[in-house]
Amino acid sequence: MPAEPLLSVRDLSKRFGGLLALDGVHFEVARGEIFGIIGPNGAGKTTLFACLTGSLSPTRGEIRFRGKRIDGHPSPAVVARGLVRTHQIVRPFREMTVEENVSVGAHFGAGRRRGTDALRRIREILERTGLGGRAKVLAGTLTIGELKRLEIARALATEPTAICLDEVMGGLNPAEIVGAMGLIRSIRDAGVTVLMIEHHVHAVLGVSDRILVLNFGQRIAEGVPRVIVSDPEVIAAYLGDDSVPVLGEDA
Amino acid sequence: MTDLVSVLVNSLLAAGLYATMAYGLAVIYGVMRIINLAHAGLMMLGAYVTLTLFDRFGLDPFVGLVVTGPLFFLLGVVLHRVVGRRLPRSDAGPSMESLLLTFGVWLVLQNLAYYVWSGDTQSILTGYTLKSVAILGVRVGVPSLLVFGASALSLVFLNVLLRTTYLGKAIRAVTQNRDAALLSGVDADRISATAFGLGTAFAGLAGGMLSTLYAFTPDFGRSFLLKAFCIIVLGGMESVTGVAVGALVLAVLENGLAVYTSVPTSFQDAVSFTLLFFALVAFPQGLPGLFSRFVRRGALH
Amino acid sequence: MRALPASVGAVAAGAALAAPFFLDRGALNDLWSLALGVILASAWNLLGGFAGQVSLGYSAFLGIGAYTTVLLSLRGVDPFLTLPLGALLAALFSVVIGLPAFRLRGPYFTIATIGVGEAVRVSAASVSFTGGSSGLRMPAGSFDFQLNYYSMAILAILAVALSAFVRRSAFGHALAAIRQDIDAAESLGVNSTRFKLAAHALSAAVVALAGSLYAINFQYIAPGSVFDFRMSLSIVLMPIVGGVGTVVGPVLGALVFSTLQIKLLAIPALRDAYLLLYGGLLILVMLYEPKGLVGLWLRLTARLRSSVPAPGPEVPDAG
Repeated sequence: MPAEPLLSVRDLSKRFGGLLALDGVHFEVARGEIFGIIGPNGAGKTTLFACLTGSLSPTRGEIRFRGKRIDGHPSPAVVARGLVRTHQIVRPFREMTVEENVSVGAHFGAGRRRGTDALRRIREILERTGLGGRAKVLAGTLTIGELKRLEIARALATEPTAICLDEVMGGLNPAEIVGAMGLIRSIRDAGVTVLMIEHHVHAVLGVSDRILVLNFGQRIAEGVPRVIVSDPEVIAAYLGDDSVPVLGEDA
Repeated sequence: MTDLVSVLVNSLLAAGLYATMAYGLAVIYGVMRIINLAHAGLMMLGAYVTLTLFDRFGLDPFVGLVVTGPLFFLLGVVLHRVVGRRLPRSDAGPSMESLLLTFGVWLVLQNLAYYVWSGDTQSILTGYTLKSVAILGVRVGVPSLLVFGASALSLVFLNVLLRTTYLGKAIRAVTQNRDAALLSGVDADRISATAFGLGTAFAGLAGGMLSTLYAFTPDFGRSFLLKAFCIIVLGGMESVTGVAVGALVLAVLENGLAVYTSVPTSFQDAVSFTLLFFALVAFPQGLPGLFSRFVRRGALH
Repeated sequence: MRALPASVGAVAAGAALAAPFFLDRGALNDLWSLALGVILASAWNLLGGFAGQVSLGYSAFLGIGAYTTVLLSLRGVDPFLTLPLGALLAALFSVVIGLPAFRLRGPYFTIATIGVGEAVRVSAASVSFTGGSSGLRMPAGSFDFQLNYYSMAILAILAVALSAFVRRSAFGHALAAIRQDIDAAESLGVNSTRFKLAAHALSAAVVALAGSLYAINFQYIAPGSVFDFRMSLSIVLMPIVGGVGTVVGPVLGALVFSTLQIKLLAIPALRDAYLLLYGGLLILVMLYEPKGLVGLWLRLTARLRSSVPAPGPEVPDAG
């Protein structure tokens, strides 16, 4: 285990006027991990990702990525450093083709690829995310499942050191979820550290190395799935939320 | 010291007019999220209508406001039916389409004015136009005083309207939170029509008042439109008070410049605008929450 | 969006260059004006169409080019040598405005540019260095129509070529991403401000070059002509009517406009109706087809194409 974690977050808080969306959150992610983030609706998970990747500026706190502080830095700088995110509600460039969408990530992300080099890389990523046959299609005509994969493909094209996946399994059927879990593992196996927010708790438990649980903007628990599942505070946090399937050993 | 008093008095007087001008723009934006560039053309039209009432019927321009107000309200409702309705109402913010569309209307209004009234410079000269009065030791033109009175009256009337009538409250509700207002049963179409009517009415009133202070041509209105925009950015548009504050700030800035520096008048507009422009940039998070809708950065999905 | 084959462009370019051998002076003047329109529309389109940032203050750049040329020519510099300097000054000015202005969202940026354009005009009219409101005249003996025509035609060809090149390039894709979803673009590493500034500077430079040629051809400039708001207006209307964001749109728009202008000038009663024309066109385009003539074309051909059965059902997700 390397001495310095890839990502370390300390006392992260974000306030919107009267609402404290994040309250003193802290955790660490090691290189090569799949790090899950779960919590009831409104727990602040997406806000956390937004702060990590520069879409939002934290009110307080420190975020260290690859040894350097990135809190408050704008998105393009964070992406250049190797940390990228997908959006919970997909944001494709509808008037561009799938290939062109991915090329934006390839050209302007950390990889900064050009020319035929970029094209090769784009094609690779499209194959890996199952969009190979749809390369020349306009993004505006894709199905929701394909759009979710496009989000991931675009982010991967930036050649990140770590990727933040925001509810990529939302709206997928069980077969598709299994496929998504496989894709996530393959991303990690290719050397990219994964942080993932997910509502499908059983899927997260099945694929994550460690998990962070948030509720009301605060950290409730952090640890391996086995421990999280039996943590009384975590169970209490979820008892009131009907949208989440009951935690258990069955996946 | 007299300089300061002069600045304050003149600013206060100008602020009333500016607020009337700005409010017309604010209400349409607040309710429909449309930036109505035709506002400039409507103010210009207001000036010309006042001129016609004065020339043809001998109606004193300030008395004429009583006619102009309701007339322009009707005009606004008509405009809404013909043009405003078909605009895509994006709640994510004002659209370029609405901007360019209202811009087109402005151009058409200008051309109309050229045809009807010719491009000659016009002005309204009444018995009191050149008279002045001393206030706190400062010489103030009678028209300016009357304009302040008229605008104060209209704004008070507006305030009462907004606070007591159903339509007024509905307008305030939609401006603050469109979705919630619509969910509680507010008729979007009627509110929009009313807002357009009010906005146009205030443009007409402002134009009528401006006609007593300045000479005008069909091209008139652009610099005032810009001032109205600056005011909205400074003071927000959710309340009459906000607009009034913004108007005062702009007026003080302009009068201060005129009195304390030797900037020639033709330059003044350019300078005020530039100053405000840079203020916008220096304090993007500064003035009332509205700024977050104007400036990029920290967008929350 | 299938682009027009380069061969069409080549033919048009060839025709433009060969024209002096076939057409009379009057027709060549019209072509010169058309070329000016093509340059201005295509240049504006780089920022306004590709990146989606609508500026109504481009007359400032035209004026900077024009005034740089005249002022330097009056001091003995060869007019054509002043072109690069005018372009450079315009580009610099565009950055100075852009740095603060691009922090404003869409329509607010547009309104800010109206103000900037006005401020520049007022300044030029108030300062004696620029000849005040009566303007300046080029030194005698610097007029050569043949040269003027060719320089404008070549610049027009280059402007369209630049437009086509940008559209297909990574730079162009970044601009398109910024236009469609600026926050998503930033989340992929696109520094939107830098790209907007670049597109702004590039288009400002091209417009300034046109401004210099304008001064050389008309021999007399004044704030009321080059810095006028109506100029900014026509610069914006051409690409909008033709089709923003495409390469061919600005050209179409310029064509429509110069034709209409010529027709208008021929009918005395309609001579001053240009505002009505511009306004009316804007209203019609915004209400019925915001994507302009190109959009209209695409809609019509799509309707024709949809009467042909669509290609097979979608391939099921690979999961």
